[in-house]
Amino acid sequence: MDFFYLLLQLISAIMVAPLFDGISRKLRARFQSRIGPSIFQTYYDIYKLLKRGRTKSKSTSYIYQIAPYLLFISAAAMLCALPITYGTNAPFLSRFSDIFVLLYFGALFRFIFIVAGIDTSNPFSGISASREGTIGFYTEEVAVICLIVVMMGAGSTNLAFISELIQKGNYGYMIPSFSIAATAFLWVMYVETGRKPYDLAEAEQELQEGVLGEFCGKDFAIIDIAILLKQITVLGFFLVIFIPWRFEHPLLSLIVFLGEVGFLYVMGVFIDNFGPRFTMNKGMKRTMLYALAISCTSLALFIMGI
Amino acid sequence: MQTIYTLFLVASILSLVLYKKPLLAQKVGFGLASILSLYAAVFFLSNLNDTLLWKLPGNFISAPLFRLEPLGIFFSFLISLIAFAVSLFSFEYAKHYEKKANLAVFASLFNAFILSMLLVVASDNVFSFMLLWEVMTLISALLILINDGKEASKNVMIYLGIAQIGAFCLMVALLIMASLAGSFEFSTFANLNISFGMSLSLFLLLLIGFGSKAGMFPFHVWLPLAYCQSPSNASALMSGVMIKVALFAFIKFSLLLPQYVQFGYILLFFGGISCIFGIIYALISNDYKASIAYSSCENVGIIFLGLGGAFYGLGTHSAMIALLGFIAALFHILNHAVFKSLLFMLSGNVYNVTHTRNMDLLGGLHKKMPITSLIFFVAALSICALPPLNGFASEWVIYKTMVMGGMEKDVVSRFFFTLSIIALSITGAMAIMAFSKLYGAVFLGTARDTKIVEEAKEVSFIQLLPLGFLASLCIGIGIFMNDIVGMLSKIVLTLIPHTSATPYGFISMPLIAMVMILCAIIPFVLLYLFKANTKEARITDPWACGFLYNKNMQIGSNAFTGDIKKALSFILRYESSVKIDGYFSKAVYTHKTHDFFWEKLYEPIIDAIMVIADKIGVFQNGRTNLYAGYILIYLCLILMFGYYFL
Repeated sequence: MDFFYLLLQLISAIMVAPLFDGISRKLRARFQSRIGPSIFQTYYDIYKLLKRGRTKSKSTSYIYQIAPYLLFISAAAMLCALPITYGTNAPFLSRFSDIFVLLYFGALFRFIFIVAGIDTSNPFSGISASREGTIGFYTEEVAVICLIVVMMGAGSTNLAFISELIQKGNYGYMIPSFSIAATAFLWVMYVETGRKPYDLAEAEQELQEGVLGEFCGKDFAIIDIAILLKQITVLGFFLVIFIPWRFEHPLLSLIVFLGEVGFLYVMGVFIDNFGPRFTMNKGMKRTMLYALAISCTSLALFIMGI
Repeated sequence: MQTIYTLFLVASILSLVLYKKPLLAQKVGFGLASILSLYAAVFFLSNLNDTLLWKLPGNFISAPLFRLEPLGIFFSFLISLIAFAVSLFSFEYAKHYEKKANLAVFASLFNAFILSMLLVVASDNVFSFMLLWEVMTLISALLILINDGKEASKNVMIYLGIAQIGAFCLMVALLIMASLAGSFEFSTFANLNISFGMSLSLFLLLLIGFGSKAGMFPFHVWLPLAYCQSPSNASALMSGVMIKVALFAFIKFSLLLPQYVQFGYILLFFGGISCIFGIIYALISNDYKASIAYSSCENVGIIFLGLGGAFYGLGTHSAMIALLGFIAALFHILNHAVFKSLLFMLSGNVYNVTHTRNMDLLGGLHKKMPITSLIFFVAALSICALPPLNGFASEWVIYKTMVMGGMEKDVVSRFFFTLSIIALSITGAMAIMAFSKLYGAVFLGTARDTKIVEEAKEVSFIQLLPLGFLASLCIGIGIFMNDIVGMLSKIVLTLIPHTSATPYGFISMPLIAMVMILCAIIPFVLLYLFKANTKEARITDPWACGFLYNKNMQIGSNAFTGDIKKALSFILRYESSVKIDGYFSKAVYTHKTHDFFWEKLYEPIIDAIMVIADKIGVFQNGRTNLYAGYILIYLCLILMFGYYFL
């Protein structure tokens, strides 16, 4: 039964994710005084991609063939590690839902992304592959510093356990270091969703999408879904730890979770739309320093035992 | 166990005897080595929890005794396991050194090297330990020299120099311990009654002694030099197991000292720094072998983080942390031995067909060497600690140790453990970049130098067989993580007696693999449901904004790490230069990275020694009458000394 709900969690996320993207695209268009596409546009896009023929670069190897599936596997496994429809009472799955499992599936995603970018030997994909790695270098430590406060405070790396502990109120916002960590963690997770000012998942060649410059047809459709899933997962990662609204019934918690994620995802447009765009070194270095400072404050408070 | 040692000795002598027929000697030497080490691996694995004793027959100096306890047997198993794969690989590989050295000598040294490592692990008194330790160092230095070249003697001297600094500290530490214990046998060393200061200084001496051999920061400078110089099978053995022997000895001796919390902190500190600096240099290096070598420094750092947790646990008497820390360290030692020797052998394959170590000349090798490339992919995934492979399994245990350590109420321990987790996570992020770059630049993309890559072809089956074996070990150890942890915890419980803690709350790797398979099905279902277009893809040039595609448009390894280099410019030294002669000729871009610590730490010392040596050189001027004068002065001094002090 646990596995059934896990599958449901995965499939419903896949089904709803394009809708969130559509809504945020519509909202962004309205901000820019355009009519904008229909909110179902992302579904249409994916459907159309599935039907399209493909071309591939001469240099590609097996990595090009398997990269879409590997990206999908890592993003989907990340989502499965979020304890939404199951909790610590699930005998097997709670041994899967671990913070480091989630983080390292994110790393697997990044690894495949970079390697796939280099494989096509497209000039832009190489640059954006490098960019992807550099973003990882900047964000990873901030994310981990915030998580240290959570993990050590809660005394476990098990996500289901932490989530339940915080929901019961045994550990949480009454601890200053925890609440400060929440701020920095949300910041990093926003960066990980790949939006402005750090990245722009649907436009510029030299940014995130550059890696995918040579992908097309069904491969591209699968990668699109994987990226949407990853965006949902990283926001969900924040929600599961810092706003755990869980209910007895798995379906109810799933619906509430998707609602929360959708809200955060769409609200991201407010930063996205009004934020400037930086070059890699200026943007990341300058803006991530604030997040790093916040997370270090939280860590220092934690070390002092506050 | 004496049979194994004797047989290795026989194999070594036999291949030396055949020195007139090097090709035969190579077959015999490496063939015997692989059979023997397979036998040894099986033998040590089946006796994993016993204690083995062997006394050297005859009346040799100080009558050496060889004793293997479970920890020693585990390391002997590790040595034999890796030696098996490496010697099977060398069976074909060594032929490439036919012109450079006598293969009979190569095979003989190789066998002797395995034997010396096995004996170091087993030796049970100061005299035989130090002797065998030096023999091991010398044999490894000779193995490096097999690949003679322009810089060979300089690189070997640096290696030997750092090894001697280590050996000196080691000798001092062991002699002090022996004099305190009143005996040269290690078994009498336990329960020394010494003060905190004494214990700390012995610990530091041991750390320098073994850390320099293990490639710990700041003694890591020899790693890229020695490993790049030596033949790949020798560097696979050195990086895979020789530095593990140093770690074994470190664990063995430092456990004999009275334990304090500070030991843990020291190890965490050096571990964290080794991790970060190792991986930074691995990331920016353009030489794939140097990159793999620097990553040894990183992995030793990770192992030291595990050990730091363990020693902290011993110091505070928290059995659980000590247990987890030792398990994590031993687990990572096992994993690092497997994937690092695999990576070195793979780099040997690449070097043999391309004859260059520069990533910027390679690219597109996958099409020529598909199996090597596929195995490299597995090795790269596992060294980046990606699930569900073995690197992830051991790093997860290390993370768990750190989290357990950081939960204590003490501010200092929280400080050290949190900083080490951060170090480990930065290392993880950079390792992803380093190895994706390495794999991408060498195997993927378009060939940068078509002439080199066109001549490349896949190596023979027998050379790929051990690589496939190690790659499957990478996957197997990862999936069966919990069984390995169970096995290791039995060994660790012999190190820390009087505890009955059992590790709990581990992740389940088979489950992770299963979820991944489950997730893999979904896209195919999706493609089927929507009747996706599955027509064969049309093959074109990569898109280049409408310009004609040129292979130089793809990203190079320098450009790939450009942003990181800028961000880290305060600890990196690199020079780029552009050489353009004439308007129509091709510009030549060169890029060199310097080891910051080599310049800041080692060069001043070496310069000072050179100056002193120059000054001392005045005394040696070839005049006989002056030499007679020296003798006279010396005799007078001795007489005076004898008169007043004796």
